[in-house]
Formats: sequence, structure tokens, C-alpha cells
Amino acid sequence: MEHEPVDVLIIGAGASGAAIAWSLLETRMRILCLEQGGHLTDAEYPSRKEDYELSRYAEFSCDPNVRGLKQDYPINSENSCITPVNWNGVGGSTINFLAHWPRMRPSDFRTKTLDGVGEDWPINYYNLEPFYEMNDLNIGVSGLPGNTAYPEYKISNPPIPIGILGQTLAKGFNNMGWHWWPSDVAILSRDQEGRQKCVNAGTCDLGCAAGAKGGTNFTYWPLLERAGVELRTNSRVREIQIDEATGLANGVLYHGEDGQVHRQRAEIVIMACNGVGTPRLLLHSSSNLFPEGLANRSGLVGKNLMFHPLTGVAGVFKEEMKGHEGPMACSILSQEFYESDPSRGFSRGYGLHSGRSTTPMTFALGGYGVDNPIPWGNEHLEIMDNIYPYLAGLTIVTEDLPEEHNCVTLDADLKDSDGIPAPKINYTLGENTKAMIKHGEERAREVLLAAGAEKVLAKNDDKVWWRAGWHQMGTCRMGNNPSNSVVNSWGRSHDVKNLFIVDGSIFVTAGAVNPTSTIQALALYVGDQIKNNIQTLFD
Amino acid sequence: MLTQTEMAILNNILDQLIPANKKRDLPSAGKLEIAAFIVQRASKNPVLKKDIASIVLYAQSKADKVSPNFVRQLQDNKPSEFESLLIETYKGYYSRPDIREKLGLSAHAVHPQGYDVKKESEELLDALTEPVRQRGPIFLDPTGGKKDGA
Ligand SMILES: Cc1cc2nc3c(=O)[nH]c(=O)nc-3n(C[C@H](O)[C@H](O)[C@H](O)COP(=O)(O)OP(=O)(O)OC[C@H]3O[C@@H](n4cnc5c(N)ncnc54)[C@H](O)[C@@H]3O)c2cc1C
Ligand code: SF4
Repeated sequence: MEHEPVDVLIIGAGASGAAIAWSLLETRMRILCLEQGGHLTDAEYPSRKEDYELSRYAEFSCDPNVRGLKQDYPINSENSCITPVNWNGVGGSTINFLAHWPRMRPSDFRTKTLDGVGEDWPINYYNLEPFYEMNDLNIGVSGLPGNTAYPEYKISNPPIPIGILGQTLAKGFNNMGWHWWPSDVAILSRDQEGRQKCVNAGTCDLGCAAGAKGGTNFTYWPLLERAGVELRTNSRVREIQIDEATGLANGVLYHGEDGQVHRQRAEIVIMACNGVGTPRLLLHSSSNLFPEGLANRSGLVGKNLMFHPLTGVAGVFKEEMKGHEGPMACSILSQEFYESDPSRGFSRGYGLHSGRSTTPMTFALGGYGVDNPIPWGNEHLEIMDNIYPYLAGLTIVTEDLPEEHNCVTLDADLKDSDGIPAPKINYTLGENTKAMIKHGEERAREVLLAAGAEKVLAKNDDKVWWRAGWHQMGTCRMGNNPSNSVVNSWGRSHDVKNLFIVDGSIFVTAGAVNPTSTIQALALYVGDQIKNNIQTLFD
Repeated sequence: MLTQTEMAILNNILDQLIPANKKRDLPSAGKLEIAAFIVQRASKNPVLKKDIASIVLYAQSKADKVSPNFVRQLQDNKPSEFESLLIETYKGYYSRPDIREKLGLSAHAVHPQGYDVKKESEELLDALTEPVRQRGPIFLDPTGGKKDGA
């Protein structure tokens, strides 16, 4: 079935797809977004139900291989120590993200110059600064201004409570003389435009029924749909097509809600399928002009996959820490060890994030992101009585360096429900990361003791959390040199002049912070560049 | 799916997995009949169904004498089946509203009420962050505040 052509076709209704649609609204171009999943209704949020925690291990798992819903695509992670996690539907992974909202730092954009690792970005922090600010206003961010780890910036809502857990850890950091700051969060600390303020339910990974969390299902999409952007759900793109005469993309083939293959023409195609979904679709869109995958003359589509490998260390305190109350990942963040210090024996650094803990069930099953049930019998009682209530933990979230062998390819056998090959992940931990994790575990231990922990629990191995593939970056990186990057400094494919990429795959390096504020700032930046260059867009 | 005797065996094993906790007035998993929850879930999950059947078969001769030692043996001899059972036991036990409430959680759906967490006062946050502010900025600024291409 052939549809009426549109000006702009966006693939993916997650964090980046929504942001760029908003940026392009003022052009009055006809914008269509194709999204493989659907809308979530209020009644579908697990936290509206009594047995909400069970869904964390079933239809609301962050792992698409566990959910196995029709809109999900399976991911082969056999050759990886981390498996990518996501949500496929309107809102994308902002449905189940934890809304921790740090920006990248100025040095993140210059790791080659400063530290001789990774690559420099073709833009820097200050190119993105106005777009960070614009996006923060659209999303609704809460936090405490004045963080000494950053150039100054505004925050519109007061911080959410850091809780007894955050206060306790903060004292430990102060005792060590180390940096920490209340976390910036894409969560409302006061009611705003029909969205309820955070009620500390602690179910952020199961979607936020309150609308407090800045998922694009609550922020951008309602506004975009009202403004006339067409969002076609349950529509999975299988291939981007190319006009062999012009070398331009001319539309896509997609599997519609009716199970049929549809053809949609477009003047501009924008990919926003995330760091795994985008290279997957490009690799699957091969043609005579692009036998190795669309926009892949550099050979870098799918390469340089970066996560933020992480592990945790926890302290057992005298007082109850009430870890299940409040947004799961957001209390305080230390960036004391963020930038390089040659004496540490590794390049770049990591953040120490204080996640809250979880409910008894999730804790008993091994904690969030880990899958090892705690012991049974009397030992079980001992842990649940004398450890669980008193826990405050730190996660060591490391900067992953780009390495070509860490990559997304197409699986030869595994397919999604429409017969499209699944992505296959090849990923190993770099030596730099291993050294960072070891360093981070030792520092975490020190600070927990300084905070008054009576006991510190650590794994003491170099295993990282398996379901910690939350952040997927680098697989179509930006750059000025077409032989060394997939898109240019404003997200346009070097090879296909009307094809843009706006999701985490265009990151050049990963920083050691959660990426979504930067992903959306980048999407707004790309939108702005499209508008500025509209007359000569395809030159 | 299981006979009454088999259910009794399963509940005896569950009593060992999560024993009663007198301090908190929490019953054991067997007493709460978490076996019924597990059997119900197994009816929709063929792998779990097989695992449970295999455990019950292994335990049959021990109907009345399920001890910690026996459960350790079971764990050693049937590690993957045992792990399935353990996971489902924890799910069944800790998802019960009455148990959640005794552990300080909301018994029912957590939205819209959530939990009441006291906000820190401005004074407290000021005092806590003062040492950090005292040390001043800690970030490198390689482009000195300038945009690329500007
Ligand atoms: C459990 C979890 C916790 C997280 N916590 C945080 C956090 O605290 N802070 C933070 O910054 N980030 C966090 N993240 C990461 C964050 O969610 C992502 O960085 C962000 O959503 C990525 O945006 P995106 O636009 O690149 O992709 P997504 O938001 O994932 O959107 C991609 C969309 O594209 C659609 N799509 C893919 N392929 C196709 C196709 N072929 N056809 C049609 N549609 C397609 C998908 O269905 C999806 O809706 C977390 C993620 C998870 C899963
Ligand atoms: S804790 Fe706050 S942000 Fe998280 S789900 Fe509950 S209301 Fe939403």
C-alpha cells in the first residue's frame, strides 16, 4: 500500500524522535513519525496494579528478550557481557528510563585532544548549551543550581528530596573532601501542566503513571499530536529506500498495524531508533549503491558501540535507609573521579551514583540489573532483617571508550515477528574500563565507610551488571571526516544527503553520565541546523 | 496439576526457603501457601511446570522430612530447577500485600499515593553542599566557553 508523501519522516517516537519533531514544527513541513509500538494507556501502567512488581520480570521487563512483545525485536547478546535494554512504543525508552539527567561535561567533547583516547566531537558543550536549556524547559527538570562540576546553568524546579540515603552518603563525600551534588532529574518536584509531581513511588522503571517523569509520552508527544504531527503507531520500518539516480533516500517500507507492507515516501528521512535500532535498520537497508548497508561507506555503521558498564558497592548502615521510597536512580551524584588523572592508571573516569535500593522482592531476586537471587533459609532472614533495610549503595558508572570491535551486526538466524533480522551484539570490556571499575569500587568502599557504614558489600570481580545496556551510543558517530564517521557535525549522513540520524548512535564518545539530556539536546541542535540550512539542505 | 500430597511436599520445601520470621511476625512461605501461586504460574509456563514437577518427584520420598540439609541436596542435584523454584517463591511471597505492608511498603498499587518523603530544607541543602561549593569548580573547559565554528 502506497501512502501520500510527507516532507519529513521520523522513524522512532522515543527521546530523540520526539525532540526533533518539536524542533521542526515551526517549519510547517508535513511531519510523520513511524513507531513500531503503541501508546500506553493509564490502566496499563503496572504501578496502578497491586502486583506491580511481578511485571518487572515479565511484560514490563526492561529487557526485550524477556518481554518478547510483538513490537519488540529480539537481541542476540551471547557475545556480550552487557545486554541492551529498551522500550519500544510511544515514548521509546523514556517510558522505562530512570530520568537521571546529568549533562555531559565540556571535556567529554575533547577526549582525543585532552587524553589521547577516543575522538574529539565536531561540536562542543557550548554548541549544545542552548539546546540543553530549551529541552530542560520542555521536559521539566528538577535540581539544585550551582553544581561545581559544570559551567553554570539554570534549573526550573527545586530538587526532589535526596532522602535519608542521600543525606547520609553526602556526609561521607564531605568527610572525604570529594565532590557530590543532588542529582538533576527529568522528574517534576511540583505539578506542571497536567502532570502530577513525583510521589516517590519508586517504580520509574515501570513507567510513571503520575506523569512526573519526563517521558516523551507525557512531554513532547501530546503537544506534537495536537499540533498536527502524525504519529503512526504499530508501524515497523523494515527498510529505507534509495533513489539510485540521485542517491537520495526516497522513503521506507514498513509493516503496518494491518500486517501488510506499506510504502511511505518522504523528502527527508530522520532516524531515531536508538544506538542499536538505527544501525540495525541501516545494515538491513542495503542496495546496489550501498551493498554494505545504507550510509555505510565509512564501514562504521554499527561499530564503536559504547555502553556505560557499571557495578555496585553497598554499605550497611545503622539507620533504615528507606531505599524503596523515591525515584529509583536519582539522589546524589559524585563526579570527583570524572576526568583523567594519570596517577590512577586509566584514562577518563567515572561517576559514583547513589541509586536508591528497591522493594524487597526485587532485592531478593538480586537487585535491579542483576539476576542472582539472594540465599534462602536462615541466611535469607538474616539478610532481609539486618541488611536490606539498612542499605545505601553506590554504582560506579564508567566512561566506555569507543572500540571498533564492539559492534552491532545483523544476526544470521534470529528475526523479529516481521521477519527482519535481529541485531547481534559483540562487546567486551576494555582494559581501561576494568581498571576504572576496580578504582571505583575502592573509592566507593572508602566513602561508604566515611559515611558511617558498618559493613561494605562488594562483588570484587570485574563482572558488570548484565541488564545495564541502558545507554547505547556510538554506532553511527558524527565527525567532519567521512572516512572516519557516519554523519556530519549536524547529524546528516555523509553518503545520503537527505538522511539524518539524531539518536545516541551519533555520539562520538560516551562520557560517564546518563545520555538522554545530551541525546535530546543534540536532536534539537540537528533540527536547528536543518532549519538554518533549509535552502541548501541537500547540497 | 499437583496432588494434595505433592502440594504439601512443595509447601514443606517453601518453609525452608523462607522460614517464619518471628521478629517481624512474618509467616513462612509454606504456611502462606505460596505453592498455590507457583502452581498457578506454572500452568502458563511450560518450563516452570517441568521444573516444579521434577523437584516434586525428587522430593517425594521425603514428604514429611524436608530439612535444610535435604534442600541443600536438592539445590546441588537440581540447580536450575531449584533456582526457578527459588525465584518464584520470592515473587509469590514478596508480592503479597500483607507481607509488603509488614515490611513498610504500600500494600496496594503505589500510584497515585506513593510515599511521603520529607523535602530537605534549603538550609540543610546549603549546609550539606557548602564544603563542595567552597572547593570551587572542578571541571576542565578546553574550549574556554566558546562554541566550535563560532
Ligand atoms: C531501564 C532504563 C533506564 C534508563 N535510565 C536512564 C536515565 O536515568 N537517564 C538517562 O539519561 N537515560 C536513561 N536510559 C536511557 C534512555 O532511555 C535512552 O538514552 C533514550 O531513550 C534513547 O533515546 P533514543 O531516541 O535514542 O531511543 P529510544 O528512546 O529508545 O526510542 C527509539 C524508538 O524507536 C523505535 N524503533 C526502533 N526501530 C524501529 C523501526 N524499525 N521502526 C519503527 N520504530 C522503531 C522504538 O520502538 C523506540 O520507540 C534508560 C533506559 C532504560 C531502558
Ligand atoms: S518515583 Fe516519581 S518519577 Fe518515579 S515513577 Fe514514581 S512518581 Fe514517577
